[in-house]
Amino acid sequence: MRIDPALVSKVAVLAALELSDAERDAMAGQLTRIVEHFEALRELPESLLAGDSAALPTPLRADVARDGSPGALVEANAPAFAHGHFVVPRVVTRD
Amino acid sequence: MTEASPAELLEGPFTALADAVSTGRVTARAVAEESLARARKAQEAFGAFLSTNAEETLREADGVDRRVRTGERLPLAGVPLAVKDNINVAGRPSTAGSKILAGFVSPDHATCVARLVNAGAVVVGKTNCDEFGMGSSNENSAYGPVRNPWNPARVPGGSSGGSAAAVAARAVPLAIGTDTGGSVRQPASFCGLVGWKPTYGRVSRYGLIAFASSFDQAGALTRSVDEAARAFAVMAGADPKDSTALATPVPDVLAALLAGAGGRRIGLLAEASSAEGGLHADVKASFEEAAKTLRAAGAAVTMVSVPRVALAVPVYYLTATAEASSNLARFDGVRYGARKGDVSLAALYRETRSQGFGPEVKRRILLGTFALSAGYHDAYYGRAQKVRALLARDFTAAFRDVDAILCPTSPEPAFALGAKTDDPLAMYLADVFTVPASLAGIPAVSVPSGFSRDGLPIGMQFIGPGDSEPLLFALARVLEDASGALARRAPGAVS
Repeated sequence: MRIDPALVSKVAVLAALELSDAERDAMAGQLTRIVEHFEALRELPESLLAGDSAALPTPLRADVARDGSPGALVEANAPAFAHGHFVVPRVVTRD
Repeated sequence: MTEASPAELLEGPFTALADAVSTGRVTARAVAEESLARARKAQEAFGAFLSTNAEETLREADGVDRRVRTGERLPLAGVPLAVKDNINVAGRPSTAGSKILAGFVSPDHATCVARLVNAGAVVVGKTNCDEFGMGSSNENSAYGPVRNPWNPARVPGGSSGGSAAAVAARAVPLAIGTDTGGSVRQPASFCGLVGWKPTYGRVSRYGLIAFASSFDQAGALTRSVDEAARAFAVMAGADPKDSTALATPVPDVLAALLAGAGGRRIGLLAEASSAEGGLHADVKASFEEAAKTLRAAGAAVTMVSVPRVALAVPVYYLTATAEASSNLARFDGVRYGARKGDVSLAALYRETRSQGFGPEVKRRILLGTFALSAGYHDAYYGRAQKVRALLARDFTAAFRDVDAILCPTSPEPAFALGAKTDDPLAMYLADVFTVPASLAGIPAVSVPSGFSRDGLPIGMQFIGPGDSEPLLFALARVLEDASGALARRAPGAVS
């Protein structure tokens, strides 16, 4: 299928990425070529695909509470940190 | 007692080096000093390292010397270790080759690093890599490409290209990397090294910067099979910090290392032998030579088909990128790394990510987000998951007829820098022989099998069922002995 620049823009919003017009157009061409190659997956008969869809089931561990308080290095790695919290810009905006 | 030369020890197997440190013939500090000097040269010549910290390395080496003096037995006493920069080492930067993690300092060791350090290894530096492990040539690092010590005009492979170059350049005898779709095995092949990826879960993923969690595994790069197996023996094991780490006993890879290939059933991957395999003539010749070697060693060599190998690249690049789009959502400028934009939270996310990620990472995030998005999920991600399961069943069926499968690690030897950078699909398609084992969660070992006519290393890969690492290392040893590759030194190796 063709991935046009409008679809790239839509996906970029979902991925929280901002692309220039040139980046968007280049991505549209590259992703179209890649996805067209991947269309080979559609040629497999459905009868072959029955059965488990997950090759590797995800193991689960016990839900055990642990101390999640940030250590000194967690604070040191944060772009902005105050009073035991990560600082971010105002969340409720018109953006 | 004769004193041992650090320079000579770095030219030989790390078992001899560890023995010399353990018996007091050389100090871990002297070895670390020599390795640090070589790492600087490997950085200048090949761009292999992203960071070193001589003071910290020497402090660790002194710690090893103290442990040796107290009589502690350390299998890796004083062995210099290079760590791919997407694996955490406490107190050192981890950029994963990305600008978005500039300035990040790891709060603790990855479990595989902790195990190696506990066994006496000394971290010399963090190695260059494709950004977040996304690449097959190490040209996607935000900090510049890595060059191949066998020919600096060629790529070292990726994404663990810095780790491969560091070992091939003889700066360190042991490096670790991550292998999501071949990122240890393919650079090992390009740089004339042994590289392995374990059965999924055999080595803890704790402390690895996640790319695609159902694929990511840590592995090691060494010059010899013996060293590869010893690294596996140290790195493998259960870990409460990784719920996907296997709790079953670790197979003993050292006991059977010299078992040979006699009586073993080896399947040559039919899809690699066919015209569609697209093998470089020298790789094809090496593949045929490897089959002869195994037959001469007493193996029953036949052809075996794993039909869905032909679809492995599409399946891998849909499922792994889907996982990446989720895993890399955490890089948003809030908790660590670079931050751009402060008008609003949404703008902070967008600007941080848009300025912090490189082109290949953006491409894969977009591809994965597309594959998961409403209207396309079933046709792409959902279908790819079903074919992934089918491929795993193909392998199960193949392993009823053969004990292990042999195929080239890569269809071609190391290619020139820039040869594929404008064609992402061509770069992806070169992963055709490494991604199948990743999709099935089964182990694989790449071993040098010979050289191309222009002197570039060629690697062959043994793939086996889960927990078959002892067999794979023993088979790799047979090819290693026959190829004579171990005796050759990369022309660019430092001293």
